[in-house]
Amino acid sequence: MAIYSFWIFDKHCNCIFNREWTLVANSSSGTVNSKQNEETAKLLYGMIFSLRSIALKLSNDSSGNDIRSISTGKYRIHTYCTASGLWFVLTTDFKQQSYSQVLHYIYSHIYVKYITHNWLCAVDLADNESETRGQGTKKISNRNFINALESFLTPMVAQ
Amino acid sequence: MSSSSSLGGHSKSLRLAGEDIWKNKTEKVNGELFTLMYGSIVSQLCRDYQRCFPKVNDQLYTMGYNIGVRLIEDFLARTALPRCENMIRTSEVISKCAFKIFLNITPQVSNWSTDKNAFSLVLVENPLSDFVELPMDAMKQLWYSNVLCGVLKGALEMVQLDCDVWFISDVLKGDPQTEIRVKLNRVLKDEIPIGED
Repeated sequence: MAIYSFWIFDKHCNCIFNREWTLVANSSSGTVNSKQNEETAKLLYGMIFSLRSIALKLSNDSSGNDIRSISTGKYRIHTYCTASGLWFVLTTDFKQQSYSQVLHYIYSHIYVKYITHNWLCAVDLADNESETRGQGTKKISNRNFINALESFLTPMVAQ
Repeated sequence: MSSSSSLGGHSKSLRLAGEDIWKNKTEKVNGELFTLMYGSIVSQLCRDYQRCFPKVNDQLYTMGYNIGVRLIEDFLARTALPRCENMIRTSEVISKCAFKIFLNITPQVSNWSTDKNAFSLVLVENPLSDFVELPMDAMKQLWYSNVLCGVLKGALEMVQLDCDVWFISDVLKGDPQTEIRVKLNRVLKDEIPIGED
């Protein structure tokens, strides 16, 4: 089990956080909220967005056929989408089937705790129309959030 | 790590899930402290707005809205519920899960409109207004628990349900029951990235 990168998208289709690990041997390697990942974030969002809409169209009732993971040649992409429109995305290798528990934990014990319950931290990073629909560039920079996420995910980087 | 209980289907399981989360996954605070805190906010607002009660109502509503847009994430994190397919389901989730988890009460759902887009929540008990008796000048206009309407408004908006939420009656004003009305205006569309439409 190894994880390669982690992403959060908000309801405005913006990537509001990304973390990428570059060296398996060094779990503190890589980047946080890197500008260079903007393009990858858009592609990743687009792929999940399209597959999600196909999956929802395939099923008869409106809920219950959400995308959980997508496999490619070298990656597995795990998604956890909340009813409020947040997407938590993790790219990993093939060793572990499901990361939904991991993603749910990040949402309930890290995101909600350090972002939602932090009253002086904005709940919505987009201030105006020009930062919606995937055009926003603001990122979560909250220290406590990043530290908690780091200590939770670090043991999984090189297992 | 808490297991994400995925709640499918029936209203019975919603009730059980609500009870389970309340019992096992919710930290409790002293009820009197809670009631007194809320009371001190309302009384301070009455003072700040020189007993102009419509303004107090608005302010409580806004405060509730700001709570609601955050509380919904907490709620979704605890329940892992997907979006509701209709307002009937929404009303059950609100009554049996949301009110249960955060206030340990289960309001009755009643008075459905014929198009099934509006319903009432009848609060048999209201932890916000324990010990409260409205002074004469506030009887007519003050909706003491108006924060609840704001919370519902904010939380529902975050799951794309644009609703109006308001008090119809309150036992504090001498009415026979405390009733909140929830009316769906429209289901908001999820944003799509530029270039995808």
